[in-house]
Amino acid sequence: MALLGPNASGKTTLLKLIATVLLPDAGTIRVQGHDIRTDMDRARSQVGMAIATERSFFPRLTARENLSFFAALDNVRGPARKQAIELRLAQTGLLDAADTLVMSFSAGMYQRLAIARAVIKNPSVVLLDEPSRSLDPAATEQLWALIRNISAAGAAVLIATHNLEEALALADSIAILRQGKMVEHSELALRHADDLRATYFGLTERRPDEADAFVGTYQ
Amino acid sequence: MSISALVDKALAIFRRDLLTSSRYRGALIFTAIGTLAELAAFYYLARAVGPSFRPEGFDYFSFLLVGTGFYTFLLMGIHSFLQSVQEAQQTGSFEVLMTTETSAPVLLLLTATSACARNLVQLILYVGAGFLIFKPVAPSISISAVLLTFTLSLGIVIAIGFMAAALQVTFQKGSVILWALGSSAWLLTGTLFPISNLPHPLMLAARMIPITHALASMRLALLAGIGLGAVRQEIVTLSVFCAFLLPLGFWAFSYSLHKARQEGTLSNY
Repeated sequence: MALLGPNASGKTTLLKLIATVLLPDAGTIRVQGHDIRTDMDRARSQVGMAIATERSFFPRLTARENLSFFAALDNVRGPARKQAIELRLAQTGLLDAADTLVMSFSAGMYQRLAIARAVIKNPSVVLLDEPSRSLDPAATEQLWALIRNISAAGAAVLIATHNLEEALALADSIAILRQGKMVEHSELALRHADDLRATYFGLTERRPDEADAFVGTYQ
Repeated sequence: MSISALVDKALAIFRRDLLTSSRYRGALIFTAIGTLAELAAFYYLARAVGPSFRPEGFDYFSFLLVGTGFYTFLLMGIHSFLQSVQEAQQTGSFEVLMTTETSAPVLLLLTATSACARNLVQLILYVGAGFLIFKPVAPSISISAVLLTFTLSLGIVIAIGFMAAALQVTFQKGSVILWALGSSAWLLTGTLFPISNLPHPLMLAARMIPITHALASMRLALLAGIGLGAVRQEIVTLSVFCAFLLPLGFWAFSYSLHKARQEGTLSNY
């Protein structure tokens, strides 16, 4: 599923709420049946999140060492940890750079490493915040293939993005957020790309009252 | 969480810190040079003051050596809690760490434990080098009193460290607690001179600071070889501080995290 919306529409906030980094003022979020307020530890154990910042790694450790550290914190232990690290490094195309200090990584390598970290514990829900930000077209294609693989392996993948093309390439369904509210939710199989584009711009570039009227017309 | 899981996480954090430290080799060399220079300064200060000045019955260099070494260990221990949060906020890893299956208090405690282990090595090298190079007097050690004083002092470090981390999460200014401790502690804790030299009101204030009792107890245990019976009063005082401050520090940190999660200020710095 892709979360679309302009800046400050609440996409990243929603991902952080699901990941229990933030707590909601009101409402309920359940991850695999576990309420993030009352059953935070179990909810968190189901979620892997990739935050779009290269600064979230330890720069003087290698990619393999970084993954090993985070895997330990995620209770991936013993021989399973080594296997998980090698598998995720291979899936993200980072095996050749596994013993390189991450301080020398490119933006694309950081993004792939962030995804490897997010899935190291084999979570049932994977949250990706602007996964293809600052990537060139070739790196973007590689990343999209990786995300399709994660989804095909059975995880529910929720992607926050500004990029309509990315949403169309990866998602089965989309939700459009505007000022913290979901103003559109639909299955992409039922939508044409131009239709989605028109809907998105119609909903996100109007004043709230105009957008409400637009949603009414659309529905 | 099982003990084996906790040990596994602790080892991962030790390994991370060890690898990171080993890749900053220049810093290790400069730390060693700085330590030797500090020891030499205290040695010549003690010589300048003269052998007739024997604070609490100890020769002045030994008094300074244990006082400054243990004081630095305690302050650096508290600082390690603050630094763990500050660095994670500044490097952007704080939120990622909060999404792992390790609770924040456990993560902070393990990270600070790793830093304290490193600081303990520095303390042993500092005091050991002081005795070996400058040979003030042969130390007379009571192992049981040293261990008990050390354990209770660690409790104080953990409690104040959690409070500093809570201030950092809430106001992004946990350093104020270190500034307050660092500034007043030189004056009040008997690090450089006995608190009996202070005016009465300041002496009373000094006794309200747990570090004062930690230093006094450690000096007696390390230099006078006095057993548990003789340091009982300091041990009881430290135990009372621990019983009061440890739950308070833990509660303060947990509450600050809960508020920061609600207000979305977790990674503010």
